[in-house]
Amino acid sequence: MDKNIISDLDNFPEEDKQRMSTMADQLQIRDSLRMYNSLVEKCFKECVNTFYRKSMTKQEETCVLRCAQKYLRLSMQVGLRFSDLNQGSSTTDK
Amino acid sequence: MASNISPSAFDKEQIFGMAEKEMEYRVELFNKMTQTCFNKCVDNRYKESELNMGENSCIDRCVSKYWHVRCYLSLLLDLSLALV
Repeated sequence: MDKNIISDLDNFPEEDKQRMSTMADQLQIRDSLRMYNSLVEKCFKECVNTFYRKSMTKQEETCVLRCAQKYLRLSMQVGLRFSDLNQGSSTTDK
Repeated sequence: MASNISPSAFDKEQIFGMAEKEMEYRVELFNKMTQTCFNKCVDNRYKESELNMGENSCIDRCVSKYWHVRCYLSLLLDLSLALV
């Protein structure tokens, strides 16, 4: 959760804290499901191109696994950079 | 006395609504950024699971530029609305 929101929460009555917390939880669940769906869609499009059989080929399995791992690593890295930018710290050009 | 200290129910609803929209906006921004930078930076041959040096470098720059484009266009929109 955003630092600003967290600091504001200290002054809230308990009832409102609970409500804000619930809101954040629901948003997180929604976001996780959304991320999962976009990951499946992305990796399926990238890796599965033939339909001679119902089961996945070894090559497709490997591709999907690597695709997913790259996506998750990228998401983590974007998250770190996103935090930096949000806090307004200067980004050195490279 | 108490009414001067705590916001009215209506004000509280507005505050919560605004907070929720702010959270949703940030999440959406993060998602768009992630998807966009993945499409632009990651080699789609998937030869390995790790992000290579080129991809890592690209991601850093992609995020930074995406952010700056957002700030720039946000400012531009504010100006155009102010001129109306």
